[in-house]
Amino acid sequence: MSWVGRSIRRVEDPTLLCGAGMFVGDIGGAAAVRFVRSPVASGLIRAVRGPAYTIADLDADGVGNIEAVLHRPDYVRLAQPLLARERVRYVGEPVAVVVGATAAEAEDLAEQVELDIETLPAAVGLEAALAPGAPLVHPDEAESNVMLAGEMATPELAEALERAHTIVELEITSGRQAALPLEARGSHAVTERFGGRTTLHASIQAPHMIRTVICDLLGMPEADLRVVAPDVGGAFGQKLPLAREDAIVVWLSRRLGRPVAWIEDRSENLMASWHSREQRYRLRAGFNAEAHLEALQADVAANVGAWPCYPITWGVEPLMALAELPGPYTLEHYGVRSRGVASHTCPMSPYRGVSRPVITLALERLMDIAAARLGVDPVEIRRRNLQSDFPHISPTGLRHDEGTYREAMELAVSHVDLRAFRARQHAARAAGGPQPGIGICTFSERTGYGTPAFAARAMGVTPGFENVELSMDPSGYVTLRIGASPHGQGLETALSQITADELGTDPSRVRVVASDTDRTPYGWGSFASRAMVLAGGATYLAAQKLATQLGSLAAEVLEAAADDIVLADGRATVVGTSVGIEIAELARIAHHHTQRLPAGAMPGLAAQAGYDPAGTFSNACHVAEVEVDPDTGGVSMRRFVVVEDAGRLINPMIADGQIRGGVAQGIANALLEEVVYDDDGNILTTSLMDYLPPTVAEIPDIEILHLETASDATITGAKGLGEGGTIGAPAAVLNAVNDALAHLGVELNEMPATPERVRAAVRAAAGRSPAGENDRSTQEAPVR
Amino acid sequence: MKPARFAYTAPDTVEGTLDALDRFGDEAKVLSGGQSLVPMMNFRLARPEVIVDIGRVGGLDGMSAANGTLTVGARVIHARLEAPAVIKPDGRSESLGGVLGSLLPAVARYVGHLPIRVRGTFGGSIAHADPAAEWCILARTLDAEMVALRRGGERAIPAADFFETVFTTALAPEELLVAVRLPILGDDWRAGFCEFSRRAGDFAVVAAMTAVRLEPATGAIAEARVGVGGVAGVPVRLGGAEATLVGETPGAELHAAAAEMAAGEVDPVGDLHGSAAYRRDLVRAMVARALAQGAGASG
Repeated sequence: MSWVGRSIRRVEDPTLLCGAGMFVGDIGGAAAVRFVRSPVASGLIRAVRGPAYTIADLDADGVGNIEAVLHRPDYVRLAQPLLARERVRYVGEPVAVVVGATAAEAEDLAEQVELDIETLPAAVGLEAALAPGAPLVHPDEAESNVMLAGEMATPELAEALERAHTIVELEITSGRQAALPLEARGSHAVTERFGGRTTLHASIQAPHMIRTVICDLLGMPEADLRVVAPDVGGAFGQKLPLAREDAIVVWLSRRLGRPVAWIEDRSENLMASWHSREQRYRLRAGFNAEAHLEALQADVAANVGAWPCYPITWGVEPLMALAELPGPYTLEHYGVRSRGVASHTCPMSPYRGVSRPVITLALERLMDIAAARLGVDPVEIRRRNLQSDFPHISPTGLRHDEGTYREAMELAVSHVDLRAFRARQHAARAAGGPQPGIGICTFSERTGYGTPAFAARAMGVTPGFENVELSMDPSGYVTLRIGASPHGQGLETALSQITADELGTDPSRVRVVASDTDRTPYGWGSFASRAMVLAGGATYLAAQKLATQLGSLAAEVLEAAADDIVLADGRATVVGTSVGIEIAELARIAHHHTQRLPAGAMPGLAAQAGYDPAGTFSNACHVAEVEVDPDTGGVSMRRFVVVEDAGRLINPMIADGQIRGGVAQGIANALLEEVVYDDDGNILTTSLMDYLPPTVAEIPDIEILHLETASDATITGAKGLGEGGTIGAPAAVLNAVNDALAHLGVELNEMPATPERVRAAVRAAAGRSPAGENDRSTQEAPVR
Repeated sequence: MKPARFAYTAPDTVEGTLDALDRFGDEAKVLSGGQSLVPMMNFRLARPEVIVDIGRVGGLDGMSAANGTLTVGARVIHARLEAPAVIKPDGRSESLGGVLGSLLPAVARYVGHLPIRVRGTFGGSIAHADPAAEWCILARTLDAEMVALRRGGERAIPAADFFETVFTTALAPEELLVAVRLPILGDDWRAGFCEFSRRAGDFAVVAAMTAVRLEPATGAIAEARVGVGGVAGVPVRLGGAEATLVGETPGAELHAAAAEMAAGEVDPVGDLHGSAAYRRDLVRAMVARALAQGAGASG
């Protein structure tokens, strides 16, 4: 019986559900660090007065600058100090740091620090930062705020647009988002009095990479820094890049010789951690008479904030948009310009899905609008355009492996019973009042990619591979040490299932060790829906090696051929016989009676393996059903259906959990969450009264169906799915909102679709069309 | 997000509380549940020198009905208004009937979330005076009276005078809000409440409460109250909409006319959660719906 494919309970849960988790904030015993942050978006620092450390102290200690690099000719290279030097570039930028006995005292101290800053004009929004004469974010290094500009076009794009039967033009925008992990960021550092070794506990996603960069900045050997990510309360990409604050915490602990901790509060997290996805897409698409998308020209601009993030850089959003915009469709002619635009706002990091929620919103709105223009059903236009021959090579050279783009959509549509919905919708339109709408979204999710894909980005460091070390101790229990850094995903459980299958043991005998640079092999951590594919593949390979060792030993002990040994149910058995031995007994022999080992065999039971694939594509179809109140603009979610194909599912329950969480974030991105600045660059959304994550009341039950397409793109057959929920949901929801109000002539291509925006779109549509006016008058009786 | 330093006192009695307020004056702030005050202190938006916690003071959590008036003690938690009950003279508890008896639960369910409703208090909300708070809108719409005690004196402050501006009331620093008196509303009244918020449990972007008294003989509206929150520094009454209603017979057309009048007579200031124009739209929708709700209750 296979453990893979079963929804066994997560080994992670008892600790977390009983409140026994150990997060950075639980460690204690440290002085409190607080950062003094810029109150203005742009300005020159004249003086910093008070009981604080500043960049001058870091400089005096020879602390280096962060250099997030892309090796591209259009990339502006910057050296970022750990605290603001001379200039502040966004509200919330750390300028100084204080240390107090308690968090409250540190806050008192921070209030005593006086920042004397000469305020300068700020470029805040995307259009303001692009405008001629805009205030420059990095005036000494760049002549404009365009920090990189990728361009490409297939050879016959212009001709293809020229001969198109119908051209559809579309502009879509995405408001700025915050990943909003439940646990904000934080770090805790202790430096040993003798020997001077430092241990950093931090709420992060990639401990090994963070160790490397902090040691580079502080000029210390990596062997002298241990980095541990204890329990991490959500990350979603926000905890992937280096936090300047974490490096300063290490510096402070070494300088002061006392334990120090920085526990980020919610306002800091909303104001000054990392934001994402403030983007604008202008599309010009050519369809033939059969509603096939022949050609697509796109202009993409992403507001990337004031600084790049290390090591991903601020190319990650615009360049992903450039490469992946063609999506799941068989588009042939494609051209794009995609720019990363600096502004006097908080920097950006990848957030669950990175650009793909916006890419998908753009494409899926395009499909619905084109369908309406061409008189084709939204399902039919997708049916005609989705990939179905694999591998499919995209216009940007991406190889799509086996997928079920059409099948997933057909299954989703039949599951929701579209016909019955349309009947309900027809009745509601006649009755007035709240209007039901349905929206479809089909998409691909590029996952599980290793070094080759990252190398193509030309980053200053190239992430990719994952390594694992697997060993069996004399009791027959297995320890798996991984370079990935799970933080709530359930990876430990899933890897124990893979291990158990290969070794013929029980998952409860597998212990997974992660997120500690002293105890794990170098790896790149958990991000980009990669851990199941990468760490899972490496685990599979290592487990096979260990199984071979067990098989050889069993063959020796049982006097049989190694090929005839079967590992199952905790025993090594000679195939077709009852002759066998407990695996635990083999483990004893391998350590305590090594004279019985086969000639040349190493004592002990241990194996290591790495895995570094090119990547794969998952796919899914999301269907959202909403109800829209035209009078208030309020949107309520009625139903949400996901048909997901992530290849072979290691643990379906965990997969469903990933999908549900992602969809909830996607719905929030579609309707609620938006980071808002005023024109001067003051951030207005610094509490959860203003930045609005959903409550359980805003999220419907999420119905999930699976397809499991076999693909040889990964060694386990598993594809990643960590980001899909967030990628697909916004487009499905926006399409549903538009569908609900289609009879009023509404077109809304901006997320989040806040009630005010929906209401404004209803008003605008009423202003445009006489029909709209009539429809409105049935809901709001005229004044007598 | 840690409060600035403050002193804390928790008297056992009303007298002790009044003494403390008298002693500390405007350095003191009364804590009654703390569901708004404590977050504001954590943000350091509020920096009281002294917290006077009335959580141990007896006698402030009663509800009683007499002479057509419901008296709600200041420390009655929101959750108790989801199923309001009064103590009869014979000591038995009886659920509050009538129009107010159905209106209070309908409003209470909009107040925050359950953890807030079991800690936060009616009087705390009134004294905090958030212009979008449900209880403030109710108090203003129904012309409630706030009972304020000080050492050696008591006064009743009409709602019209009580709410001065955002988070500011007519309570003097040495005064304690001990109770709120609400009209029970006889069977000839029809009331409705409708709120639009971004998420379940949020403060209203706009909320409206309406109450109309019908002439039993004709069914025409003899008296009308229309109150809205979320459009000014205090909850406001809309005299134009009220005048539109009086003398007329309830119905969709009349409700729409009153709602249109209401949208025209508010002068909201836009903010992050809604521009002025959008808030007008919401006033129109909420007033119409509150009126329709009331009419529905009558049918």
